[in-house]
Amino acid sequence: MSPEARPALVARGVSRRFGHRVVVRDVSLEVGGGDTLLLVGHNGAGKTTLIRLLAGLLKPTKGSVTCSGVLGMVAHNSMLYDALTARENLSFYGSLYGRAAVQRSDELLERMGLAPHGDRRVATFSRGMVQRLAIARALLPDPNLLLLDEPLTGLDDAASGTVRDVLTDLRAQDCAVIIATHQLVELVDLASAVGFLVAGRLVAVEPIEDRDATAVMVRYRELAAGA
Amino acid sequence: MPSSFWTVAWAVAAKDLKIEWRTKTAFASSIVFAVLVLAVFYFARDPTAVAALDVAPGALWVTFTFAAMLGLNRAFLLERENRALDGILLAPVPRSAVFLGKLVGNLAFVAVVEFVSLPLFVLFYDLAIWRQLPTLIGVMAMATVAFVSVGTLLSSMVVRTRFAELMLPILLLPFLIPPVVGAVQLTSRVLAERPLSDLVGWLKLLASFDIIFVALCFFLFEATLEE
Repeated sequence: MSPEARPALVARGVSRRFGHRVVVRDVSLEVGGGDTLLLVGHNGAGKTTLIRLLAGLLKPTKGSVTCSGVLGMVAHNSMLYDALTARENLSFYGSLYGRAAVQRSDELLERMGLAPHGDRRVATFSRGMVQRLAIARALLPDPNLLLLDEPLTGLDDAASGTVRDVLTDLRAQDCAVIIATHQLVELVDLASAVGFLVAGRLVAVEPIEDRDATAVMVRYRELAAGA
Repeated sequence: MPSSFWTVAWAVAAKDLKIEWRTKTAFASSIVFAVLVLAVFYFARDPTAVAALDVAPGALWVTFTFAAMLGLNRAFLLERENRALDGILLAPVPRSAVFLGKLVGNLAFVAVVEFVSLPLFVLFYDLAIWRQLPTLIGVMAMATVAFVSVGTLLSSMVVRTRFAELMLPILLLPFLIPPVVGAVQLTSRVLAERPLSDLVGWLKLLASFDIIFVALCFFLFEATLEE
């Protein structure tokens, strides 16, 4: 991010507690246009909760999240209606964002390789097709900030390649992307930085230099051991 | 350009009705329930001891309210599948437009259930209601708006709880008492062909419930969406 550019997302001292359990602790981060931040952490480290906090779906117990511009999100759950067709799902969500988003539906179905299945109900889709449609849904508003929680779950190699192409295009379009994932090998080369989440704490955000997933995991273990 | 308030409300209502039209799950269960209750009340009454007019208004409103509750339960449960509600909340749309859409969808659903049940009610109780039909429909509309608005609000509140189907009736029934008592009183007077002056007091009360319930539900809806 250039120094004068306005960050797409700023989180300041964000914490979230569920009952007595603090799931996210004092997380601060900034992501600018064109940046791709990978969030890594063990199961239960708070990745999903942090993504939901950044998306505004959860209110922080402490701290604040400021998002400038349009937000798209892919979560664990597809946010799609099984009884509607792929096209109807996109048309419905598009209508929440405006006419331009509705008009983008067909283009996104095409881009995600789902155009031949546009009139099929989502209930009949495979896991991978649902995931691709969920990504198309997230891209409807033409976001300048995209949050993805395990975006490659259930995708075969070809579909993973499509998603990686989409992410590469988004970076070129100056879209800020935050990805919570375990699949470092597939995504590490797309990232500009990696955030290490240990027990709800973002212990470090470091630029990725050698694009090596193993090196990232080694670094994670070092940080987790020291935390 | 972002979608207008009315576009969002219409999109939500149309989506709900389309899903119900496809699946017919809530409709089928509500109609079966309505027929069952009307039949039970019919066979429980000794026609030589109790006049039809004495029991019919109560039977009608027990049928309507409990049959409607099955549909109200469904209204937000379909948003829980795949966490589709998150997808709606991510969009920059007024929450009150989402509530209006849900309310309109539920009203349309309950209206259909009522209009299917009403001829059965007339048949079971052998009532000649043609002359009173417009007034009866007016009473049905007023009472339905009151309890469906509260039902819509409460179903959005309980949808994230583990026992949503159980919680809704428990929370909703106390709120149903005032409008349903008013509706029973009015129906009884309408069926007995009492003059309009006998109805005015209850009509005013029912209108007050409509205004208060709808306004409060619009006001409180956003708070119910917070996790």
